[in-house]
Amino acid sequence: MVSGSAPDQIGISRTVSTPTTDAAAPAGAAASGSAKTPPPPLVPSTTSAERLALAKKYGLRPLNVRPPLGEYIRDLVGRWAFIRVLATSTAYARNQNNYLGQLWAVLNPILNAAVYVLIFGVLLKLSRDVDNSIAFIVIGVFMYRFVEASVTGGAKSISGKTQLLRSLHFPRAVLPISTVLSLLTTLIPAIVVMCAITLLSGFLPTYEMIHVTWWWLLLPAAVALMWIFNTGLAFIMARFVASTPDIENVLPFVMRVVMYASGVIFPVVSYVERLEIPEASKAVVGGVLEYQPVAVYLYLVRSVLMQEEEMFPHSGLMWVLGAVWAVVFFVIGFVVFWRGEERYGRD
Amino acid sequence: MTEADEHMDFDLEIEPEDEGEEALETELGDPCLVVDDLHVVYRVIGGRAKKEAEKQGAEIREVKVKVPFYKRLLQAGRKHVGAVSEVHAVRGVSFTVRHGESVGIVGINGSGKSTMLRAIAGLMPPRSGSVHVSGEPSLLGVNAALMPQLSGERNIMIGGLALGLTPKQVEEKFDEVVEFAGIGDFVYLPMKTYSSGMGARLRFAISSAASPDILMIDEALATGDAAFKERSKARIEEVRAKAGTVFLVSHSISTIEAMCTRVLWMHQGKLVMDGPVHEVADAYKKFIRAQKPGMGPARRRALQRKRAAEEAVRKKAEEAEQRLAEAERKAQEAERKAEEAERRAQEAAAQGTAS
Repeated sequence: MVSGSAPDQIGISRTVSTPTTDAAAPAGAAASGSAKTPPPPLVPSTTSAERLALAKKYGLRPLNVRPPLGEYIRDLVGRWAFIRVLATSTAYARNQNNYLGQLWAVLNPILNAAVYVLIFGVLLKLSRDVDNSIAFIVIGVFMYRFVEASVTGGAKSISGKTQLLRSLHFPRAVLPISTVLSLLTTLIPAIVVMCAITLLSGFLPTYEMIHVTWWWLLLPAAVALMWIFNTGLAFIMARFVASTPDIENVLPFVMRVVMYASGVIFPVVSYVERLEIPEASKAVVGGVLEYQPVAVYLYLVRSVLMQEEEMFPHSGLMWVLGAVWAVVFFVIGFVVFWRGEERYGRD
Repeated sequence: MTEADEHMDFDLEIEPEDEGEEALETELGDPCLVVDDLHVVYRVIGGRAKKEAEKQGAEIREVKVKVPFYKRLLQAGRKHVGAVSEVHAVRGVSFTVRHGESVGIVGINGSGKSTMLRAIAGLMPPRSGSVHVSGEPSLLGVNAALMPQLSGERNIMIGGLALGLTPKQVEEKFDEVVEFAGIGDFVYLPMKTYSSGMGARLRFAISSAASPDILMIDEALATGDAAFKERSKARIEEVRAKAGTVFLVSHSISTIEAMCTRVLWMHQGKLVMDGPVHEVADAYKKFIRAQKPGMGPARRRALQRKRAAEEAVRKKAEEAEQRLAEAERKAQEAERKAEEAERRAQEAAAQGTAS
């Protein structure tokens, strides 16, 4: 087992027969070793080209190279079980340190909605254009939380898991997907509560009655579109926050602006009409605010659950828009994320 | 404490149970890992990184960007705001490893061992150079991230799936993993309730369950007890027997000697020695012993205290001996005096009778 040091052993065919090492004679260095300092750096006995040829000859595959998109997608689909287990486990772990445990998944949005109903609905009466402001605000808050949590969760899905990235090898897209999926699993009980509150609010005097209709069956479709859209957002956020962690500090403010601009707690479009700006710009601002993705999804959920409200007539255009936004964001997000694949985990 | 013990530095741990153990020789196959001129540089975001890391001998430089004057003015607080340092942890490493080899990586703290291991596992992207492998490398780190809030059972599932097993395969291996980790019913408790040794054992069991082609172990065996070490050694041999390759980073040179056939010695991000285990291990031990004067001040003070205490004890013993001798002398003298007095008395008496 003496290391091969003779220069004639450089060749590929000979390298196969060399024992443990392909580097130049370390034995001499060990013997002469002035023990105080380590031996000088080794000069490898093969050139870079020879090593690459050796790798090619034995069919070795290069690491740290971004796989082609098709292969990446196949690999990802094969990891569906991993995505699912990771999602349900994180969803479960999220509230595991509290006495009330999983109850917080439902309590948290209820408290959130209660605050907004009290301040914006009852005290400020900002949603006075709506006949049932409780239903309007509760739906807005519950559904917007899904978007907001997907953005902040997606942002942390890569940057907050450096240890995991540096320990295990898997398509990194697993992380943002499972983050949003775990939010979806906690959203489902919250949606049941949301529907219950919406129904009960109709029994209060001065609030309009809400009826369960066949339209309610479309609710899962609206949530599914939102889920696809949110996953796309999470992809984009994950990529950018991984390379520039500072973005994470700005996100809460951006998300608050988006909240007010999407009509989560009051119908923002009717406020645009009261602005004192030229008619033309009013149309532009109003159009942007009305047809931007978050507003579209809120519209869809409200139109499904609140049929008596004349503000939200059923609209095929909105459904088409919802589908288009979902696909566009998901595809762009996925490609953006994939293009950074080989760099995640560097910092 | 013998003189030899005092020479041992923190970098050279000898575990008694590893003494005399040796890795089995297995037949070497074709190359399965080729590392070509690997450079790994990682960014450290935050101001103080440079000074701290430079102390450890790592090569670090500020990222140099041409900054116009007005920007420099704006960046007056750069040291604390937006400072980015680069750590050049691995600086041009090349080697080839074959199927069935078991390779140890040694080097002092901060020499780039762990970073290199991550890079050749494909988990840390290199700045330049390339790594070619056959099969899937699996790295087992001390803090391989599993979820501490969840039970060991759940963690086995997550870890197994992350390694690419199917849920069914994980269920099949479940009992084997639990038995190997030796944690018994603890597997149903959250992992945060585990001792560090139990956690490390479970992680080792999970990541070696997938029987990877290339198994990389980073300081993970340090927390196990002797029985566990025996089992992990058997597992490593198993991986090698299946034509797999094992990498092992450890501070315990005896562990390396017991489990590896070849050793890479890294120093300041470069490979300084590569050869059969005994050759490199001996040279490395020599190097570490030569670093002895680098003994820390606390250690030196402790040594001085110890010497002083020994001195005091010796002095006391001497004094006691002296006193004892003194007392003996006095006693003898007293005896002599008494004898003399008796003699005088007899003489006096004799004179008395004579007169």
